[in-house]
Amino acid sequence: MVPANYYLVLSAAVFSIGVFGIMTRRNALMFLMSVELLLNAANLNFVTFSLQYGNTTGQVFSLFVVALAAAEVAVGIGIVLVLYRNFGDIDVDKAMTMRW
Amino acid sequence: MSNESDPKPVSRLLSGLVAVALFVVLAVVFVRASFGDPTGFPADAHVTASLGYALFNVAGASVPGEGFLAAFEIIDLVLVGALVGAVMLARRETGGALVGALGSDQRSERSEPATATDGGEN
Repeated sequence: MVPANYYLVLSAAVFSIGVFGIMTRRNALMFLMSVELLLNAANLNFVTFSLQYGNTTGQVFSLFVVALAAAEVAVGIGIVLVLYRNFGDIDVDKAMTMRW
Repeated sequence: MSNESDPKPVSRLLSGLVAVALFVVLAVVFVRASFGDPTGFPADAHVTASLGYALFNVAGASVPGEGFLAAFEIIDLVLVGALVGAVMLARRETGGALVGALGSDQRSERSEPATATDGGEN
């Protein structure tokens, strides 16, 4: 059976890619995708330790993380829509003013 | 639309360095850690069925785990709230003018009175 360390290194790689995306991308949709990468890296850890300890709790919790990610994306897409209506762009750097 | 080219490539390089440094630190910690042999699941265990039992606090799971019925109900409320919030952010008014959370959009206003389908109260 594959040791847990390999899964953890994979999860760290996915998490680092997500952090890189959040820091460099200016498109709001790319932001949402990067946040998905962060959440799925955490999911990978949950499932890894579920296998490590022979317990279903980690897998059930990763299901909840998926549901929370869906809620976050729903609100995020709504915010992107409002951003496009008010600024004509989804570049997060152009929305510097929080007034209307 | 937004172009993805960063005006300052130096900042992108710096971000890449930060991400790689984060990965190196995490990978060093994870490789050096020892967790022992994975317990794994028994060959005759029904993992998917056990997940369903754990979600609804029902006894009879072949793999041990905690119950998550309260969290299941709470996340139901969270999902409903998020979807209603998304619809509220994205809704259009019947008159043809776009209405967002930050005020109405004047660019697409119609001159003729709109035919409202909900009785025309607004």
